[in-house]
Amino acid sequence: MNERSGALLRLKCQEVSRLLSSGQDETLPPADRARLRLHLVMCRACRTVSDQFDFIRRAMRQLDHERPPEGTPL
Amino acid sequence: MTLEHQLADLHPLLLRFARAQLRHDSLAEDVVSETLLALLEKPEGFEGRSSLRTYATGILKFKIIDVLRARGREVPLEPLDEQSMDEALDALFQADGHWKDPPAAWQEPDRALEQAQFFETLQACVDRLPPRLGRIFLMREWLEMETAAICAELDITPNHCGVMLYRARMSLRECLDLNWFGETR
Repeated sequence: MNERSGALLRLKCQEVSRLLSSGQDETLPPADRARLRLHLVMCRACRTVSDQFDFIRRAMRQLDHERPPEGTPL
Repeated sequence: MTLEHQLADLHPLLLRFARAQLRHDSLAEDVVSETLLALLEKPEGFEGRSSLRTYATGILKFKIIDVLRARGREVPLEPLDEQSMDEALDALFQADGHWKDPPAAWQEPDRALEQAQFFETLQACVDRLPPRLGRIFLMREWLEMETAAICAELDITPNHCGVMLYRARMSLRECLDLNWFGETR
């Protein structure tokens, strides 16, 4: 990578949230992936959203699973 | 419990899923009827393999995909009603692109996955999405279709598809935050 300025690599949280969503649907281009990883290292809020998108996917895949009625001891 | 009883118990759930996906009452009833019929005719199909519920939902998903394919582009998508959602999304960020109110981590999210009540909240949040977004989101996350297939079904560009999925995810995140995880904070 030739750029020496971190500013060129820096994403805004709004762009990151959009990339995180795209990343759920497709493999991101390497440049985006690198910028996204860098941002996530530095930004707790976006890491949180990344985890939450992953969680939503897991939850949706269990939406139609069987589960014990309320009050049943686990 | 007889198979008929078990299916009767499942019926409302299957109907709710089908309605959420197809947004069309009589089509939803059709696919659910076909699913129940398939199970009644070939009950041995699921024996010992999975729970009846999982098996029935699996069949229902295929029926729903068939209907979506068949009606494909004939049924126009509902007019855009997502402008207010866009504004709400923009409102989450400052002008410089940073979060106005940085999202807080959800406490013990895996515990939520053990609670039927959580899934009711999740379902309610999905139901609350504008119809187009709800349909695309369910195609992606419930029917587990690839985005290329969704774009082709709905005749929209990959970019448009991506934007809609983004709006849906952000909206669901917000809805779960407010209606489930916010209460445990």
